[in-house]
Amino acid sequence: MPFFPTGKEGTYIFTPLVFLFYAGNFLILNPEERNINVNTIIQGILNGSMMGCIYALIALGLSIIFGVMNIVNFAHGDFVMLSMYFTFWAGSLFSIDAVATPFITFPLLFLFGVVVYFLIIEGTLRQKYVTQIAVTVGLMTLLRALAQIMWKAQARALPYSIIQGSVNIGEITLMTSRIISALVSIAAIFVVALFFDKTWPGRAIRAASDDLDAASLMGVNYRWIYAFSFGLGSALTALAGGLLMSFQQVDPTMGLRFGLLSWCILALTGMGSIPGLLVSGIIVGSAESISMSLWDPRARSLIIYLIFVLVLWLRPRGIFGRK
Amino acid sequence: MNTSVNNTWKSSRILIGILVLASLLLPLLFGKNQYNMILLTTIVLYSVLSTAWNIIGGMAGQLDLAAGAYLGLGAFTSGTLVIRYNITPWIGMILGGIVAVAFALLIGYPLFRFGVREVWYALSSSALVEVLRVAFLMWEDVGGPIERFIPYHDWSLYHLRFGTYTPFYYIMLFFLFFTLYINHRIRNRKLGYYLLSLGDNEDAAEVLGVDARTCKLKALVIYAFIVGATGAVYACLYGFIHPSFFSSPISLEVAILGIVGGMGITYGPLMASVILVSAREILRASLGGQMESFYLIIYAVVLIIIALFRPKGIGHMFQTAVSRLAEKRNRAVPATGGNRNGE
Amino acid sequence: MGDKIILQTESVTKKFGNLLAVNKVSFDIFEGEVLGLIGPNGAGKTTLFNTITGLYQPDGGRVLFNGIDISGIQPYKVCKLGMSRTFQVTKAFGSMSVSEAVRVGAYNRHGEKNVAEKVDEILDFFQLSEIRDQKCSDLGLAPLKRVELARAAATDPVLLLLDEAGAGLTATEMAELMNMLKVLREKLNITLCIVEHVMQMVMGLCDRIVVLDHGVLIAQGLPVEISRNQSVIEAYLGKRAVK
Repeated sequence: MPFFPTGKEGTYIFTPLVFLFYAGNFLILNPEERNINVNTIIQGILNGSMMGCIYALIALGLSIIFGVMNIVNFAHGDFVMLSMYFTFWAGSLFSIDAVATPFITFPLLFLFGVVVYFLIIEGTLRQKYVTQIAVTVGLMTLLRALAQIMWKAQARALPYSIIQGSVNIGEITLMTSRIISALVSIAAIFVVALFFDKTWPGRAIRAASDDLDAASLMGVNYRWIYAFSFGLGSALTALAGGLLMSFQQVDPTMGLRFGLLSWCILALTGMGSIPGLLVSGIIVGSAESISMSLWDPRARSLIIYLIFVLVLWLRPRGIFGRK
Repeated sequence: MNTSVNNTWKSSRILIGILVLASLLLPLLFGKNQYNMILLTTIVLYSVLSTAWNIIGGMAGQLDLAAGAYLGLGAFTSGTLVIRYNITPWIGMILGGIVAVAFALLIGYPLFRFGVREVWYALSSSALVEVLRVAFLMWEDVGGPIERFIPYHDWSLYHLRFGTYTPFYYIMLFFLFFTLYINHRIRNRKLGYYLLSLGDNEDAAEVLGVDARTCKLKALVIYAFIVGATGAVYACLYGFIHPSFFSSPISLEVAILGIVGGMGITYGPLMASVILVSAREILRASLGGQMESFYLIIYAVVLIIIALFRPKGIGHMFQTAVSRLAEKRNRAVPATGGNRNGE
Repeated sequence: MGDKIILQTESVTKKFGNLLAVNKVSFDIFEGEVLGLIGPNGAGKTTLFNTITGLYQPDGGRVLFNGIDISGIQPYKVCKLGMSRTFQVTKAFGSMSVSEAVRVGAYNRHGEKNVAEKVDEILDFFQLSEIRDQKCSDLGLAPLKRVELARAAATDPVLLLLDEAGAGLTATEMAELMNMLKVLREKLNITLCIVEHVMQMVMGLCDRIVVLDHGVLIAQGLPVEISRNQSVIEAYLGKRAVK
């Protein structure tokens, strides 16, 4: 598989810990509030896993940018939010289904990513690392504030999509939109993985991220590689955004949630493993879903953050540098 | 040492003296107008926060985005103590600082190990603010969606409640002097040198005996404590506590002020605060509540521009300008010695 | 030169993926000597240094410093115990001045009271007093290398590892460096281990030499012996040269 799997051990140590956490949760809840029901749990896990596939797609975009350029785009979550708004417009303007919008939004966001790279990111590459992160923080602030001014707190949603409907398996109901979104995400991740493994441009990018000087000696132009990677990473959010818009709405504050999810998945996976992202995505998605149904819907970000902090304490090799 | 440097030093001490005096006397000019007083107090408040941020951001090189978290923790600790147990915020300040430090260590401790990239601390700290906000919203007992008011007093030093903003101005001012002094102390002693070296080249610093983790943690603890303590005063200033204190916009603002001011330059964030916070308040006054987020756009744009073109910040630009001026003056002095600066 | 061993590596191994950069290397450094570590490019000398000083964790074997097992402990602790080093590619403190950079090293063993004195002492010794206020990022290669050396020496080390301190220097600069190192060893009682490519420095300075090739220790002994050693000549010039 493309890149080198490094963070898997972390993922596998984690999963039992996360389930222990839920067990702990049960003990805290009052008896009346517990609607312990095997079906609820299974439903939660299934729903969560499907969402997790989409989250993994988003995290993939972040991972590409991080892997190639060593920059974590703080604004990544807001790119998702932005792409969801673009999806809304494209969908309303051209009266097309949410799932068809990526044909428009994907190239749009790719272009956006490239422009952002040349305008903002490139200038900071020679500077201190903190400054490099700081510009993406600035970008995040800018996008979020702009969104709040332009769209206020009004959520936007598209009318029913072609993939609406549900499937019933026994007592469990699964929404078709989520099933299809999950499958599309998995397929997309697979395609990207193939791209980096088998195609010439993909391998050139991997080479450049491993050793920039050697790659430039072989005629690879780093500026275009960086721009392309940034564009690709951003464009993937358009795909995820289109899928999400088929069953969700968008509001200006969503950037934070998607950002946190991506970083958590990235931390959990470590660097280098694309299939690992999918596994982490499923874990994180299920965690979010179960905690929302069993604890409190508002607690979704708490759980994710808790997982994030746990990962940081337990040190999967993905994050820590000492060789 | 050449005379231009000497002259600059002398002038700067005079300048500092003048500024201190002016800041102490300012309320005499504006004291009657409460709107002006709160404006001044707010400027000083942000100066405190950003100057403290300089310790973790400018010197230790970590992009901390959790100022709002520590502020809120300090506010809630002190506020809850005063509301429920009538414990004075003077004690609440210390406890608030400690609580803030505890949370800071929660995310700082695992992340300040040698070799971990700064970005992870930045991410965790930015998420911490939001998470605490949600947590305190859900925590009906201490927080909850409704503001919890701190009992009003017309003039109580014990409760730190006053009928006017002027005493708050002075309290914040002394926080500022204290924080500037701490900055100065750190800069010129072992911790400062160690932090600076870590920022330049962590590998080289480590082999010279610099314990990266301990140094960064020290910086974090000092910063978090100051912000937590400030949070206690913040609560008294506003007269209530509410989960919205765990504010991402404030956290971003503080970091931006620190960066734009000039990472590592003691008075840099102070300058940035004076300029940007005044601009923000003027903007708010003219555009009204509709454009609440507008100032954030300005901040973000300023940050990006500074990061791209003048990464060393306003403080550094100021320093360069001053030394150029000093050089010019030096050339104007006749070579036979003596100087014109009134000895 | 005494008989006390201050550094011992026992079968130290370091891998990067499948590449064995350092393969079961064992050697000793005696107190007071100047040990040369030589070998063709890519032999693993810098990797060995990095492993000894804690920047890398060894994958096998151990490193003993004055009898204490320091394998894989953090670099700053290694410095506290008395070992310091310079880097092949200078790692300067760009934004700091020369005296500030030296001061960072001096804080290792000196508190606020004595540190300024120690800094002056070191600056004097390494002839850096004139440029003490210049920023490190403004310096040329030779003074920069001296600053690196001064910084490391300021930590009051018992053992100093120098990684290609002579690289890029002119003949005069190199002669100056050699003198400085000799005085360092005599006056300040610092044991030296130097990685070098420049043969004059190696032959002129070292009491003993250790040779590495492709991560393996292929010879150790007196300079005279090494210069005649078959495997060493092969390593540098290839098998045919020996014939």
